[in-house]
Amino acid sequence: MKSQNERKRTFLMIAVPILLLFFMFNTLPLLRGVMYSFTNFRGYGKFDWVGWRNYIDLFTDSRVGNSYWFTFKLALVATILINILSLIMALALNAKIRFKSFLRGMYFIPNILGALVVGYIFSYIFTYILPAITHAASMLADKNWAWVAIVIVCAWQSIAMNTLIYISGLQTVPEDVYEAASLDGATGWNKFRYITFPLIMPFFTINMVLCMKNNLMVFDQIMALTKGGPAQSTESISFLIYNNGMSGGQFGFQSANAVVFFIVIVIISVLQLRFLNKKEEQL
Amino acid sequence: MAGLSLQHIWKKYPNGYEAVKDFNLEIADKEFIIFVGPSGCGKSTTLRMIAGLEDISSGTMKIGERVVNDVESKDRDIAMVFQNYALYPHMTVYDNMAFALMLKKTPKDEIDKAVREAAKILELDKVLDRRPSQLSGGQRQRVAMGRAIVRSPQVFLMDEPLSNLDAKLRVQMRAEIAKLHDRLGATIIYVTHDQTEAMTLGTRIVVMKDGIIKQVDTPTNLYNKPDNLFVAGFIGSPQMNFIDARFDGNDLIAGGTSFEIPLEKVEVLRNGGYVGKTVVMGVRPENVYDAKAEALCRLTAPFEAKITVFELLGAEVQLYFDFAGASMSAKVGQGSRAAVGDTVSFAFDVDKIHVFDKETEQAIVH
Repeated sequence: MKSQNERKRTFLMIAVPILLLFFMFNTLPLLRGVMYSFTNFRGYGKFDWVGWRNYIDLFTDSRVGNSYWFTFKLALVATILINILSLIMALALNAKIRFKSFLRGMYFIPNILGALVVGYIFSYIFTYILPAITHAASMLADKNWAWVAIVIVCAWQSIAMNTLIYISGLQTVPEDVYEAASLDGATGWNKFRYITFPLIMPFFTINMVLCMKNNLMVFDQIMALTKGGPAQSTESISFLIYNNGMSGGQFGFQSANAVVFFIVIVIISVLQLRFLNKKEEQL
Repeated sequence: MAGLSLQHIWKKYPNGYEAVKDFNLEIADKEFIIFVGPSGCGKSTTLRMIAGLEDISSGTMKIGERVVNDVESKDRDIAMVFQNYALYPHMTVYDNMAFALMLKKTPKDEIDKAVREAAKILELDKVLDRRPSQLSGGQRQRVAMGRAIVRSPQVFLMDEPLSNLDAKLRVQMRAEIAKLHDRLGATIIYVTHDQTEAMTLGTRIVVMKDGIIKQVDTPTNLYNKPDNLFVAGFIGSPQMNFIDARFDGNDLIAGGTSFEIPLEKVEVLRNGGYVGKTVVMGVRPENVYDAKAEALCRLTAPFEAKITVFELLGAEVQLYFDFAGASMSAKVGQGSRAAVGDTVSFAFDVDKIHVFDKETEQAIVH
């Protein structure tokens, strides 16, 4: 009995402080955010309750609409690009090649760099190096191309982690299954299509969901590359919430935006999981 | 179906290790060939080279009349049953069996017919919609067999397919494989380290050691006329007893006892120049008799030994004892009253004594 009480005490000693910290720095701000979404709070001074006004305005605000369009376009393109490229990379790095461990380490480096650092490096490349080579204006200054630059940076950084997850997935496929497929007459493509891909489907699911979520929340890269420009063409939802909420006097309104965005991400993630789980084979 | 020809096949790895050395074998159409030997003897490597899963370092391999050295696995028209079955875990039993035909773009109705026929033979018709994880070990093994059968390949390769099954199921599946061979009339190459499987299934057995073929022969010949000490010791359970004996020109002398041997064997030894030399006398446990019990064969002079282990195996008794510096065993009838510590008088069947050269380890006479 004594040891059970001790265990309980240890459990509480560990759990309660963490729960309190989590509540203070996560749950409480979230609840306050929800509260402010029903006010006209500007980030300072007094505020009034406005009911659902902020939420109704969200659907009529063209800037919010544009940011949703841009964010979804970027997230979708980047997610597809990242997953295709990281799967190819994983297949290459899982093959019988020389310096495999070294190459895996090298390709993982982008993931350990801060997004802002990467953003600033690419900003330099897009602003000075590329225009010098192509003799064209910077992509970042072109409102039709700036979003592509952001996709490139997002992909460059995310591929590392996704590749790692795919490599671990590929390592779960037994070698003799490939050998059996070879004897059954499978070509390289057949093996990928009928053996590899179905067997790494759980890893594809997790990569797709995490990647989509991360790209929907894109912020650092925009901060470093375009600050939402040119002409607000690369304003992501997160950036808009931060920019207009913190320095634009729209704290209440952007809180409503954040609440809606949170719900949208949850819905997308759940739908993605449901759809992809159906595709996963029950092993 | 087709025969196979393996001529001077070598497998040498980049680190210099030679897994298979100068392997020569002609396998006839519809033959059931067994590769048997201890772990690391090169039997699985040879099988994998036939499958095209390992490159051949040198030599020529033919399936039928076609040289297949540089032919990819998928184009060799062979099927293989793996030790771990290597079933596609995400496919149903039906899809596992249909996969090869589907890749060949066989019409669906033909695939269906082939799969259902194989499933019927292997009693898998009720589990066709299940996945491998939902099957028992025996069922998985049968699916692996079924996957091979539906393809009607030229050659079937089996890499220790029964080693993951429990003893009872192994016996059952062994019989199934034998029946299947009769039914399909297929050329089968079967790797095992279990000599019972080898003896019961094979039309010919290839005994290997350290990458070298030690003997290729029928099960009966391997058992009765082993070419060398290794084969004599490897085939048969418990293994053949070996005693160093001196040939005095008439008899074999060991442990102070003079063992007479048939005249024709004496002649062979005399002609071979073994008079006065030490040879290895080999006697199978079932040819060692309790000298006091009635035997239907001609026995050598008796010798006495103390029983160290007594094993009742049901229908018979296995007695272990030391004689002439060698640990020996005898398979005697259930009626034996010997007990551990008893001194028992034993004798050998005169006609069943094998003699081997001590230096070369080759058989001199059987």
